[in-house]
Amino acid sequence: MSGPRYHRTREQDQRLLAFECQSCGYVSFPDEKRTCKRCGDAPATFEEVQLAERGEIKTFVVQEYLPDDIEVPQPLAIVDLPQEDGSGESARVYGLLTETDLDELSVGTEVVARFRELFDDGERPINSFKFSVPREVKR
Amino acid sequence: MTDAHVVGSGIIDFGEKYEWSFDDLLEGAYLDLVESVDHGINPTADIDAIWYGTLDIANEGSSGASVAHATGLFEKPATQIVNACATGSDAFRNAVQAVKAGDVEVALVIGAEKMLDSTEGLIGSAALERVWRGRGVTMPAFFGMRATRHMDQYETTREQIAEVSVKNHENGTKYPHAHQQFECSVDDVKDSATVSYPLNLYDCCPVTDGACAVLVTNDERAREFTDAPVRVAGYGLSTDSFMRGDDLALTNFPASRQASSMAYERSGYGPDDIDVAEVHDCFSITELITYEDLGFCEQGEGGAFIDDGIPHLDGEKPVNPSGGLLSKGHPIGATGVAQIAEIFEQLRGEAGDVQVPDAEVGMQHNIGIGRNATGAVSCVNILER
Repeated sequence: MSGPRYHRTREQDQRLLAFECQSCGYVSFPDEKRTCKRCGDAPATFEEVQLAERGEIKTFVVQEYLPDDIEVPQPLAIVDLPQEDGSGESARVYGLLTETDLDELSVGTEVVARFRELFDDGERPINSFKFSVPREVKR
Repeated sequence: MTDAHVVGSGIIDFGEKYEWSFDDLLEGAYLDLVESVDHGINPTADIDAIWYGTLDIANEGSSGASVAHATGLFEKPATQIVNACATGSDAFRNAVQAVKAGDVEVALVIGAEKMLDSTEGLIGSAALERVWRGRGVTMPAFFGMRATRHMDQYETTREQIAEVSVKNHENGTKYPHAHQQFECSVDDVKDSATVSYPLNLYDCCPVTDGACAVLVTNDERAREFTDAPVRVAGYGLSTDSFMRGDDLALTNFPASRQASSMAYERSGYGPDDIDVAEVHDCFSITELITYEDLGFCEQGEGGAFIDDGIPHLDGEKPVNPSGGLLSKGHPIGATGVAQIAEIFEQLRGEAGDVQVPDAEVGMQHNIGIGRNATGAVSCVNILER
């Protein structure tokens, strides 16, 4: 199950803390590793950067067939989250969407991260983010 | 350095083989191969080494020794290759490299997969092993995201994507080993159940068991087995980061561009020289994008390429005459080997109802792995008559 993997990155994905490669500018999220996953710099120098909670949908799907314990239809997107201070590159993340209808979704739609319990791991709640279309943008 | 040549192939009918063990699958493909060799083969004496492609999803061995057991080919080096959905084509590539290097004279390449023994386990782990970065992200979602973006960026239509499936299912009805043998229309594809918008059921390959084998040898030995060997002209294997997902990876599979460039360079052929291709069509959109990645058409023109009928069986550049993964099925370790076997038959003029006239140069292509950069591994082999 996802316990160890989740706990390894809990700080990052609950605070949207990412890591910028000082060689090529790639923003790694949530991983902080010693090699860059874009330019191959090894060892790489990473600096912490804070991501904004608002991002843009680059592409999406709506899943209809999943195991019984997962709610469908489940919209899912690749989202670019810019850095909070507006500098540098965005981080590219997968994100589930919530409170979102299919007709609200398109490439380029602005979404905002909402932190909540995603599901539970037996006894423990697994908290992270989902995205939704901001209320003021809702049609 | 010697060339490598394919001199025989064997395959079982792909489909639901729940009653068959892994041994049964391997035996079936192997025996068909032994019988297929034009001038005959004494396998225990002639075969020097074995490459076995399988993800071993059914958990039956995780060793090349599984083939030794199933075939009776003992006291020979046997290696299991695992490389996601490119497993079979990479097993072939490894055998080709050993033959070309002169270290092995005759190599058996065999791929097998039992996909139907534990499908719930597969989707279960796909669904549960990630938190926000993909809880429940299944393969139809990874590939469906490329469809959404391709439609948005290049005005590719839903109908053009469906046409790939229509073409491959039509071809599959003429290919004797295909798992699903039915024809469908664009409307049938669009009306089939939504799996992961924008992909519907008929945009997705079936879950299929299967096995396939080919025999690879050097210049010196090739004519011993057949008067019509098929030369391996080039190959390429490349990888992409799982995570970086540069903008091109939202609509295409950059690793396929790299792998095919390597294969083109090694072979001296270019996209225009390819007479027939068996490419990875796990989903309809995958093949449409692959037209672009392999250089068969320009970036963003995959939709027009299928609209114009170019990849049809009677078109200028037939793609997936066997019906592809969409109708043949995708038993992972067997998939690439079966594509090689089909190209081998095509180049020898033995492809029956799906024969492409006068095919001289053929290409085989697989991609694998999902995530931000879906298709993060790609393998391409080019063969010639």
